[in-house]
Amino acid sequence: MGKFLDKILERFKIYRIPGYYEKYDHKWTMVIDLDRCNGCEACVVACNAENNVPVVGKEECGNKRTLNWIRIERYVEGEYPNVKVKFIPIMCQHCGKAPCETACPVYATYHNQDGLNVQVYNRCVGTFTCATYCPYDVRRFNWFTYKRDEPLNQQLNPDVTVREMGVMEKCTFCIQRIRAAKDRAKDENRSIRDGEVQPACVQSCPTGAMTFGDMNDPDSKVFKLAKSQRKYKLLEELNADPSVIYLKRVMKDGSSATHEE
Amino acid sequence: MLNRRDFLKLVGVGGAGAAAGFALGEKSKNPSAELIPYLVPPEDIIPGVANWYTSVCAQCSAGCGIIVRVMEGRAKKIEGNPLHPINKGKLCARGQASLQALYNPDRIKNPLKRKGERGKGEFQEITWEQGIAMLSENLSSLRNNKRETEKLYLLTSSIRGHLNSFLENFIKAYGSSNYLQYELFQHENLLLANNIAFGQDTLPYYDIENTKFLLSLGADFLNTWVSPVNYSQGYGHMRQGRPGIRGKVVQIEPRLSLTGANADEWVPIKPGTEGLLALGMAYAILEQGYYKGRDAQEWKNILNKYHPKDVAVLTEVDERRIRALAKEFAVNKPSLAIGGENVASYENGASQLIAVNILNHLAGNIGKNGGVISNPKGASLSNRRGAIKKITAFAKDASNGKIKTLILYNANPVFTTPKTMKIEDAINNIPFIVSLSGSMDESTAMADLILPTHTPLEDWGDDFAEPSVGYSIATVMQPAVSPVFNTRNAGDIFIDVAEKIGGAIKKEVPWNSFDAFLKDSWKKIYDKNKGIVIQETTFDEFWDNLLAKGWWRLPDISSLKPGHISTKGINVYLQKEPSKFDGDDKNYPFYLCLYPHSGYLDGRGANLPWLQEMPDPMTSVVWGVWVEMNPKTAQGMGIKNGDMVSVESPYGNINIPAYLYPGIRPDTVSIPIGQGHRLYGRYAADRGVNPIEILPFKVDPRSGAIPLNSTRVKITARRDAPGNMVKMEGSTREFGRKIVETVTPDEFSKMGMEG
Ligand code: SF4
Ligand code: SF4
Ligand code: SF4
Repeated sequence: MGKFLDKILERFKIYRIPGYYEKYDHKWTMVIDLDRCNGCEACVVACNAENNVPVVGKEECGNKRTLNWIRIERYVEGEYPNVKVKFIPIMCQHCGKAPCETACPVYATYHNQDGLNVQVYNRCVGTFTCATYCPYDVRRFNWFTYKRDEPLNQQLNPDVTVREMGVMEKCTFCIQRIRAAKDRAKDENRSIRDGEVQPACVQSCPTGAMTFGDMNDPDSKVFKLAKSQRKYKLLEELNADPSVIYLKRVMKDGSSATHEE
Repeated sequence: MLNRRDFLKLVGVGGAGAAAGFALGEKSKNPSAELIPYLVPPEDIIPGVANWYTSVCAQCSAGCGIIVRVMEGRAKKIEGNPLHPINKGKLCARGQASLQALYNPDRIKNPLKRKGERGKGEFQEITWEQGIAMLSENLSSLRNNKRETEKLYLLTSSIRGHLNSFLENFIKAYGSSNYLQYELFQHENLLLANNIAFGQDTLPYYDIENTKFLLSLGADFLNTWVSPVNYSQGYGHMRQGRPGIRGKVVQIEPRLSLTGANADEWVPIKPGTEGLLALGMAYAILEQGYYKGRDAQEWKNILNKYHPKDVAVLTEVDERRIRALAKEFAVNKPSLAIGGENVASYENGASQLIAVNILNHLAGNIGKNGGVISNPKGASLSNRRGAIKKITAFAKDASNGKIKTLILYNANPVFTTPKTMKIEDAINNIPFIVSLSGSMDESTAMADLILPTHTPLEDWGDDFAEPSVGYSIATVMQPAVSPVFNTRNAGDIFIDVAEKIGGAIKKEVPWNSFDAFLKDSWKKIYDKNKGIVIQETTFDEFWDNLLAKGWWRLPDISSLKPGHISTKGINVYLQKEPSKFDGDDKNYPFYLCLYPHSGYLDGRGANLPWLQEMPDPMTSVVWGVWVEMNPKTAQGMGIKNGDMVSVESPYGNINIPAYLYPGIRPDTVSIPIGQGHRLYGRYAADRGVNPIEILPFKVDPRSGAIPLNSTRVKITARRDAPGNMVKMEGSTREFGRKIVETVTPDEFSKMGMEG
């Protein structure tokens, strides 16, 4: 037991090394402007289409076993006629100090050199530990192997693994698109341009609420947006250091009620 | 010149080594249906390399441009065309999901002939030759024996572009004048209101992007109304795209829509009085002297019946609030008022929308950036005005035996008309029904012959978006993949039939295929504009560039001046009193407010599993339907969240689970349209109810619109039945967790440019 704890602490240590983050080749970051987001769910369907996220059907939805990697949380505050509704898209926050990573007994989830929190499906043995450690509730478990009714399977994206029963999954920041952009840049002997990587959700978002880019690049859009006075991170007090930055919604009387109805 | 390759580079999607060989002008013959990919790779298929094809989205009538990612002959992903002026690279959830229309397992895979009794759904597969022969023989006999050509009716969904002119040609050559288009949301009242007010029978471009104050009367413009992706982009920009300026949105509607949820203020107005509020605001603007026109006094005389004090009583909106809104609307320039589906759907919807036009006129928003910008007539090149009005005449003709043969194309009137209209019985009187359709919907199931058509991703065509963005544009639809099943292009079916019938008809339709006709039509456009707005020296070059870019700006046929509303004669069109509702308020205490569902729209999206499993943005309900009730009202009736209730109008009743929603007036209940299919494939069939069924048979005599919001209902708890509603929400409260953090508008303006 003691040894196990030591191991965990050992792993946490790297986060204390000054300048650790600057060592990343890229620091992929998403900025989501909640004053633009209208809650339309285009990003949700775009992600499903890009990432081979299965449809689970009504019954499994009822069991809260949907597999969506991104969801729109909606909060309704106040009573008629003073009702305030707020939306927020939530996907894996790709935490710099990811609680899920310290938990996995088989290293199925780890941090890569780009600052991404990655999930290795082949290693995952389905202990569910990471999902219980994640404060953002973004990890999804394959309780079954979901079959697509033919010919819907013809739509499956060949760049993304089709997951099977017993495996944990979650948003990857569309790592296949990052990969493709890197390859293209390498072929053309240049570095990746700002805006060249567009995850499916970002690409589709009609209001332009989401921006994706490299925080290591001071000329990037995300770098500039992150200077906004409206910026905050989700449940920041947990110190998980998310790579998703939200910009506060502008709204009268929007503060969340501290008491229940 | 921009070629396909460069285009792909420009939009940043081309694979580095992609030899994007590109079957220009020909159907890309790749083998997903007959051959195994890799065995005989056609020239434009390189294993592992994606090609992107431009096309147009057909999930609603906005006409967004799309690009389709194709690998090994299969469509993988749809994205917005970044160069397209309507959606600029973006798509809504419906557009994203349209891939599942292509690969839907319940598509009709072969031509079918009715076997058993009509409407029982028993069919047998036949060959295309047999199918074409059946239709041709029927049309020949109608024509030769009795010269009953007028007894052929063609009923389609609302189609624009050259397929529309092609069908017009065919029907005329055949000798019939009965070609009509019907869809639930065709904006008839908005067109009528614009025609009466400005003399412009068009839908304008609403410049949401550049406005400072947006007053939306029941327009769910971020979700389903008219051109949602374009408006959502405008919205994003209007909120946070202009440093130091943040536009304000006020939403006026009895039920808080998705758009309302994003507005700064919600005014829960009494249903059917929205137009009166607009006129009351107009009067306040005049009274305060914000309108400087020479006819100010005339306007004042006309509008003095709408004193805010009186309007306040009718609308249940405080007089001070009406005046405050009027002031904000007049002072913040440019401002913009829009009147949406919710308002258009009252029995006097057109008059209420005219009031919205007047408001824009008095605030000086017409023809201004950030206001209402006219679209040129050219934008509506191939749109069929007036065809809508005929749906009632159609039902009558069908009942009276005036129709001998009906050809349906992608139209589902059985699902989208009130039961009281008895369209099913009417159609049943028609001796021969043919449906050209991709899926077994409620109307297609009544057919004697089904000729399955391509989905847009397999098809050739074009579209002339209406409304456009201030100038006219055409978008080309090209096949991204070869047909998945044994289906055909609708135009090709008519060409084959013309061939069989021969004679004058064949002469009118001399093309070998629809895509030849399409190319021919574009050749005419090319010849007319060559050297003027077209720089390409050959048509082939022009056509290649067109397909690569996906759209083209048409020279405007006639440019319209900013509309001016004259006080003369406008009086008769003004809303005089609140809308009328069917059902007395004693027995039917609730206003019924119907709205198109985010995913299913008028029902067409219900067969796509991604949309079924997409949580409704406001309620989080999946795979089902619900009625929204104010929690206080429900509590008083002992109804809990998810309980089954009966919703009864004077014309019928439906059982439906209740969703307790604080964003709705206590005297109103609301149901989304789109579920309740009896058929339409495994994902859509038997999921809840279709609320259109309990509406009265009423049609606006001037516009032809079916007033969806003109009925009152009563609600009774049905303790005997389980609700069976699945919603994805956990708690809807934040419990002070500060998940969605906010700043007030004041704090925000103090942030200045760094906000
Ligand atoms: S697509 Fe954009 S606007 Fe729509 S819910 Fe997602 S983030 Fe919000
Ligand atoms: S970044 Fe990619 S994987 Fe993550 S939510 Fe967006 S679309 Fe899904
Ligand atoms: S708004 Fe959505 S459904 Fe309509 S055309 Fe655009 S993408 Fe398609």
